[in-house]
Amino acid sequence: MTTVMIQEARARVTVGIFADMPDAVAAARPSGESAEAALAFLTEMSPDLRGAAILGPDGELLAATGEEPERWREDAAALFVAADGAEDVPVEQMHIATEQGEVFAVRNAGLAAVTVTDRFALASLMLFDMGSTLRRLASSDFGPPEGPHPRRGD
Amino acid sequence: MPAKPHRILLNRVSVYADEAAAFMRRRRISRRPFARLYYPHGRSADHAQDSSSGAELFVAAGRLIEVAGRKEKG
Repeated sequence: MTTVMIQEARARVTVGIFADMPDAVAAARPSGESAEAALAFLTEMSPDLRGAAILGPDGELLAATGEEPERWREDAAALFVAADGAEDVPVEQMHIATEQGEVFAVRNAGLAAVTVTDRFALASLMLFDMGSTLRRLASSDFGPPEGPHPRRGD
Repeated sequence: MPAKPHRILLNRVSVYADEAAAFMRRRRISRRPFARLYYPHGRSADHAQDSSSGAELFVAAGRLIEVAGRKEKG
């Protein structure tokens, strides 16, 4: 059928367009404050999240939850080294599910985010939220984290 | 004698609840630990826990889970 052929061709061409479209790269290193705001935004969006960290282009820690930022930096770096070494190709995203929890990591726009969630978190949503947060952080400084929209009469 | 309409409705709801419970049970049993890496252009690769690359990934992930700690309930 003609319609089917057109749709197939469109899908093929569209995939090609997106495959060749480079991700935006952070023009400048995001400030710690904007990274904190991005992290707060991500935490608010993801109810399953236990902790997270955002890393800069050189692997430096921009923001992290909890009391041990240095450990976040070291352990996230070790995770990326292990992942990149698996096939000697830099990974874009990863999802590791264990009995104790799940770990997600995303590289986008020269930045990286690592999150730890409860078990059975929705992987596609988590990865999408992390990617979009990094894109926003790279494209412009995050403003103050968005709170719940005020209701009338509040 | 035909079943009363509310009885049909109750049976229907309980069948759906049983199905949902069975689905969740199967999901929990079938959900074994795994490590999945995604590469550019949509390619992905699974690494078994007993492979050398998989073991490294699980160790690194375990450390991160430890740093994140447990979520405070409530």
